[in-house]
Amino acid sequence: MLELEELERSENGTCILGGVTARFAPGKLYAVLGRTGAGKTSLMKAIAGMQALDGGTVRHNGEDWAKRPPWKRAVAMVYQQFINYPHLSALDNVAFPLVRRGLRRREARERARRELERVGLGSMVDRRPSQLSGGQQQRVAIARALVKDAPILLLDEPFVNLDYKLREQFREELVGLLGAETGTVALYATTEPREALQLGDEVLLFHEGRLLEQGEPRALFAAPSTVEAARVLSDPPMNLLPIEVRAGAGNLGSLGAVGEGTRIAELPDGRYHLGLRAGDLTVGGELSGEVVLTEVSGSETITHLDTGDHELVLQEKSVVRHEVGTRVHFQPHWEAALVFGEDGRLLHGRREGGHG
Amino acid sequence: MAEIHLEQLAHSYAPDAPERVYALQPLDLTWQDGETYALLGPSGCGKTTMLNIISGLIRPSEGRVLFDGRDVTGEDTRRRNIAQVFQVPVIYRSMTVAQNLAFPLVCRGLPRARIRQRVGEIAELLGLSTFLKRPARELTADQKQLISLGRGLVREDVSAILLDEPLTVIDPQMKFELRKKLKQINEAAGVTMVLVTHDQNEAMTFARTVIVMNHGRIVQSGEPQELFECPATEYVGTFIGSPAMNFLATVPREGRREVPDLGLGLSVPKGEDARSGTWTLGFRPEHVFAEGDGWPLRGRIRRIWFEGVEQVLEVEAGETVFRAKLDHARVRTGESVELRIAPERLALYRDGQRVGAGYD
Amino acid sequence: MRTLYLALKYLAILLWSSFVVFPFLWALSTSFKTANGVTSGATYLPWVDYEPSLLGWESLFGGAGGINIFGPYLNSVIVTVSASVVSLVLGTLAAYGLSRFRFRAGFVKNGDITFFFISQRILPPIVLAMPFFLMLQTLGLLDTLPGLVIVYIALLLPIAVWVMVDFFNNVPRELDEMAWLDGCNPIQTFLRVILPNSLPGLVVAGMFCLIFGWNDFFFAFTLTFTNTQLLPVAIVSLNSSVTPWWALSAACLVSVAPLLLLAFLAERFLSRGNLAGAVR
Repeated sequence: MLELEELERSENGTCILGGVTARFAPGKLYAVLGRTGAGKTSLMKAIAGMQALDGGTVRHNGEDWAKRPPWKRAVAMVYQQFINYPHLSALDNVAFPLVRRGLRRREARERARRELERVGLGSMVDRRPSQLSGGQQQRVAIARALVKDAPILLLDEPFVNLDYKLREQFREELVGLLGAETGTVALYATTEPREALQLGDEVLLFHEGRLLEQGEPRALFAAPSTVEAARVLSDPPMNLLPIEVRAGAGNLGSLGAVGEGTRIAELPDGRYHLGLRAGDLTVGGELSGEVVLTEVSGSETITHLDTGDHELVLQEKSVVRHEVGTRVHFQPHWEAALVFGEDGRLLHGRREGGHG
Repeated sequence: MAEIHLEQLAHSYAPDAPERVYALQPLDLTWQDGETYALLGPSGCGKTTMLNIISGLIRPSEGRVLFDGRDVTGEDTRRRNIAQVFQVPVIYRSMTVAQNLAFPLVCRGLPRARIRQRVGEIAELLGLSTFLKRPARELTADQKQLISLGRGLVREDVSAILLDEPLTVIDPQMKFELRKKLKQINEAAGVTMVLVTHDQNEAMTFARTVIVMNHGRIVQSGEPQELFECPATEYVGTFIGSPAMNFLATVPREGRREVPDLGLGLSVPKGEDARSGTWTLGFRPEHVFAEGDGWPLRGRIRRIWFEGVEQVLEVEAGETVFRAKLDHARVRTGESVELRIAPERLALYRDGQRVGAGYD
Repeated sequence: MRTLYLALKYLAILLWSSFVVFPFLWALSTSFKTANGVTSGATYLPWVDYEPSLLGWESLFGGAGGINIFGPYLNSVIVTVSASVVSLVLGTLAAYGLSRFRFRAGFVKNGDITFFFISQRILPPIVLAMPFFLMLQTLGLLDTLPGLVIVYIALLLPIAVWVMVDFFNNVPRELDEMAWLDGCNPIQTFLRVILPNSLPGLVVAGMFCLIFGWNDFFFAFTLTFTNTQLLPVAIVSLNSSVTPWWALSAACLVSVAPLLLLAFLAERFLSRGNLAGAVR
C-alpha cells in the first residue's frame, strides 16, 4: 500500500503540488490524468524521492519514506524521453539494476535476457541504445523497469514520443505485461482522457497541482464531481452551456428550449451549467451550426460548430468530411448531459444508455 | 502558385547498382493548384525522399518534376520558389516579427513600400499584426511556426508550401489553433500545401487528399473518408483508424470465402479463384452495431476497452477474434453478445489487396 | 557541372592544406640548413638548392653552442601531464557537483562559483606572476618541478571545470535519476553511469589542458631560473646574438610533435564515444 498525505510544493509562487492525498493498492494500475504541467511528473518524482517538497509524507507499507533517498526506495520509473545507459548494451542496461542489487552478473544477465524477450527484443540484446529505434529504446527502458519487480512502478507518459500506431500497440502490450505484476502499484501518467479511461483501474484527475478526484473510470466518467473534473476527463472538450431554469424549462437560444422529457424539468428554478460531451451530439436533426473546423482523431471526426450564440463540439464515430463554412444538422441528447450547479458542483450524473 | 506534376518519377540512392533498390518506386502524380495534400507513412516509407525531390534537394534518378508544365527537375531549391516549414520553428532570433517576415523580400531587393504592404497583408492573414514590433524570439512556439510559414507566404511567387511535421513540437492545446490557422491560410491564399507526417490524425485532419506510402510506394491516395471506408490494402486498414480494421482469416467454400466461426462470408468476384491465395474478410470496428438490421456476429466478450462515450469490445468466437466499437453499450466482460454488421461494410482482401466489397 | 564543382572543391581543399602544411615544411627544410643556407634566399630542395647539414639537430642534443633538450623536454612532459591529470580529476568532480547539486552561501550560487573558477583566466598573466612568485618563494618551491605543477594546476583547473560543467549540463539529468532508482548512490552514479559516458568531454578538456600547459612560456619563464627549465624556455635560450634558425626550427618541430600526435589520437576518440541513445 502506497499512501500520500498532503504533498505540498510551490516554486516561485506557482503551485506544483497542492495538498495531494491519495492511496494506491498493489495489483492495480492508476491512470494519472492531467494537462502538461498539471503536476503528474512532480507527483511521480515525489514518490521516487526526487522532488523537493514543502510538506507532506510518502508512506509505503506504513513506513515513512521522508528520510529514504531515491536509491533506497524500491521504485521503478519509465520516462517519456527514452532514457537508457548509452554505454551499455540492451542486455547490460536491463541487468544493471540487478547487478547493483547484488545479483551475480551471470544470473542478472539471464534474467535480463528473459525480460527482453518478454518485451519482444530477444534478438537485439547486444545492441547499444543508439543502434535501436525509438520504440525499441523504450522497450529496453520498460524491461529495465519491470525486471526489478519493484513494488512501485511509475510510467510517466511512456508512449507519448512514439508514433501513433506504435502507441496503440504498446498500450495493449502494457496491459499484458502488467497483468503478471500482482504485487505492484503502477502509476501511468497521461494527457489523454481516452488512454486514462482505457488503461486505468482507477483514474486520478490532476489540475494545477491539485488532485481533483480519484475513482473508477466508468463511475468517474458518469459523474465527475465538478465542472473542472469533467473538463479534465473530456477529450474533445465538453460543451458547457449555462442555462437558466424557470418552471422546469430553460432556453438555450439557438439550441432551443430544453425541459420537457429531460431532467431539466425536475430542477428547481435557478441557474445551472449543462455539460454535454461531444459524443452526446449526433448528426442529423433540426438544429444546425456552421462548421468552423473538423479534426480526425483515431476513427472519430470532431467537428466544431458555430450556432450563432454557442460554439459546440460534436464527435462522430467515423471519418467524415464537413467543409468549413457549411451547415451541419445535429441533435443533442439532453438526457446524457451532466447537470452542474452554479458553483460548478455536479447535481446529476450521466444517465447511461440514454441513446444509441 | 503552381500545379505540381511528378512524371514517371522514381528515385534510387544507388542507381548504378546491378540490383536497383528504389527509395521511391516509379509513380505518376498530379497535385492541383491551391489544394492540400498529405504524405502519410512510417519513417523510411519514402515520404521524405519525395519531399526532397519536390523541393529540389534531391535530383530524382528517373522521371521529371513539372511545375505548371515547366520542367524544373534540374533546378535548385531557390529557383523553384518552394517554401518549407520544418518540425522546429526556424526564426531569426535577433529580429522582430516584421523583420522576420520581410527578410525574404529584403533579400530580393523589393522596394521598401512594397515590402511594408506585403508584410502587413501576411501578418493580417496569420493573425500576427499586433506582434509585428515584438522580437520574434519572445513568441510562443505555435506563433513562431506561423512566422516560419509567413516567410514562405510573403513571396508572391511561391509555388507551394511544404510542411514537414510542423506540429510535432507544438503543445497539444495550441495545435488546434494552429491547425485552424493553416486551413484558413490555405483557403485565403490559395497556395498548394503538402504536409509530410507519420501521424494519421494530422494527415486526415489537414489534407483533402491523403497519400499513404509504404516501402517507397504509394499504397493508396484519396480523401480521408475513402481511406477510412474503403482501404485498398490491409496495410491502410491497419494504419488508418483506431482501433485497426478487423481482418479475419477465411476458408474457401463453393466460390465464397467464409469465416467459419462467424458463419460470415462473401462471394469471390468473377475471374478470381477462391481456392488460391490468402483471403481475409475485412470490416471496421466502427461499423459494427448492437441492434438493427444486418448480418449477425455472435461471440463472447473477451475484453472491454472503455473509452468514455464509446467502448471497444474484443469479441471471440472460436478461433476468431474481432473488435467492435460501440456507443453506450451496456455489456460486461465474459458475456455472450450478438452484434450486427451491414453486409455492404464487408470486403474481401486477397494477399493484402482489396478485391471486392459488399454483398452480391 | 558536377565535375566542375568537384574540381573547385578539391582545389580549395588543396590550397588550404598547403597553407597549413607549408610552415612545417619550411621549418623542416630550415632545420637542415646552415647559416649560409638560411640567408641565401628561399631554397627548398635539399642537395639541389642547398647542402643539408645536421647542425641544427645536433645543437639540440648537446652539440656545440647548443643545449641538451632532453632535460627540459622531460620537465615539460612531467609538469604538463601531471598538472593536466590533476586538473582533469578535480575539475571533473567539481563540474559534476556544480552541474547537479545546488550550492548556496548567502548570495553565492552555483553560477557564481563556476564564474569564480573561470575568472582566474580573465586576469592578465602578469597580474598573477607576482603573487605566484612570492608564494613559491615563501614555500621554497621556486625553480622546482612541484612548484610548477602547482602553478599549472591553478592555470588549467578553470579550463577543465569550464569545459566539463558545460558538458555535464548537456547530459540529461534523467540519466542520473534513472541510476538512483536502479540503486546507485550519487557517487556510484557518477562513477558507473556518468563517467563512462563522459569520454568526449574528458578528451576535449584534457586536450585543452595539455595544449595550454605545454605551450605556456610566461610562467615557465618567470618562475624558474636554471634548475628546472621547461621546453619553451629552453628553446628561447637557444637564441643568441646570431639567431640560429636551423636549431630553432628543429626545436620547434620537436616541441610541436606531441601536440600533433595528441590531436590525431583525440580525433579518433571523439568520433567513437558519444551520448546518442541516452535520450531520444
